Amino acid sequence: MRVDFFLLIAGVLFSIGCIGVLIRRNAIVILMSIELMLNAVNLTFAAFANEGQTMTGQVFVFFVMTVAAAEAAVGLAIVIALFRRRKSTDVEDATLLRW
Amino acid sequence: MNLLIGLIFLAGAFAAVRAFWPQRQAVFGLIAGVTGATLLAVERAALLTLQFWAGLIGFIAILSALLVILHPNPMVSVLFLILNLFCVALFYLFLQAQFLAAIQVIVYAGAIMVLFLFVIMLLNLRVEEGLHLTGGVQRPAAFVLGTAFAGVLFWAILHRRDRPFLEPPGSAEGFGTARDLGVLLFGRYLFAFEAASILLVAAMIGAVLLAKRRLQ
Repeated sequence: MRVDFFLLIAGVLFSIGCIGVLIRRNAIVILMSIELMLNAVNLTFAAFANEGQTMTGQVFVFFVMTVAAAEAAVGLAIVIALFRRRKSTDVEDATLLRW
Repeated sequence: MNLLIGLIFLAGAFAAVRAFWPQRQAVFGLIAGVTGATLLAVERAALLTLQFWAGLIGFIAILSALLVILHPNPMVSVLFLILNLFCVALFYLFLQAQFLAAIQVIVYAGAIMVLFLFVIMLLNLRVEEGLHLTGGVQRPAAFVLGTAFAGVLFWAILHRRDRPFLEPPGSAEGFGTARDLGVLLFGRYLFAFEAASILLVAAMIGAVLLAKRRLQ
């Protein structure tokens, strides 16, 4: 089986995550869409690592997972702080820095 | 492959129906059951091939991803995201990345998703009335841009060179094991590994400070 199939699936997943970031207003769902996009990128890395038979791609998947964990922790802390102040997780309610 | 494309379109229709009329669970289950039975009757020989299972997992992955972004309840979104992560872990097994499949399940589905579930339960979010979508020109623009982006990606993937950019140095024995990954991680990428640890400490301190009620 060629790796193009996995690349196509990853492309679809990345696009779905991209649309999710743009159409939803709930901050937690936006964070989940970002996780979807990071997963699609991971799948692409693993597919190319398999095609080239080199381990470097898999090492990069490892680092992307680390960054995703850090991003989820900080993002959810911001959501909690926002909810405490505004009683809502809607990103439209965070307007202090908006011009 | 045609079967897979058909299934993907079916998944989109199902997700739309499921997202905008949440009470029609029986209809959804009935349609899924009929589809599965037809599949079983028509394509029984295909059940033994790897391609069929890869297509089925891809179908489930895309369906769950659509439900993540289209379901009104964030809790259900998290559960479908976990399903999606499991599908990607199975893809890692297809791609000879056993260790990555293991840490995908343990770290991603186990730890990060528990964090999401914990925050949703902590905030006690009510089920939103309908989908809270962005208004104005952003919503149609998001669909158009997302679809166009997917089209560009498809074009690039289908027209890329057949030869891989790196010459395959022969299928190594035990490719993708924890040992291979560890040799690279603690050898050539040792600095990046240490930088990742500093990043995690910084993220942890930042999360605690941000979520603290008041700073002393």
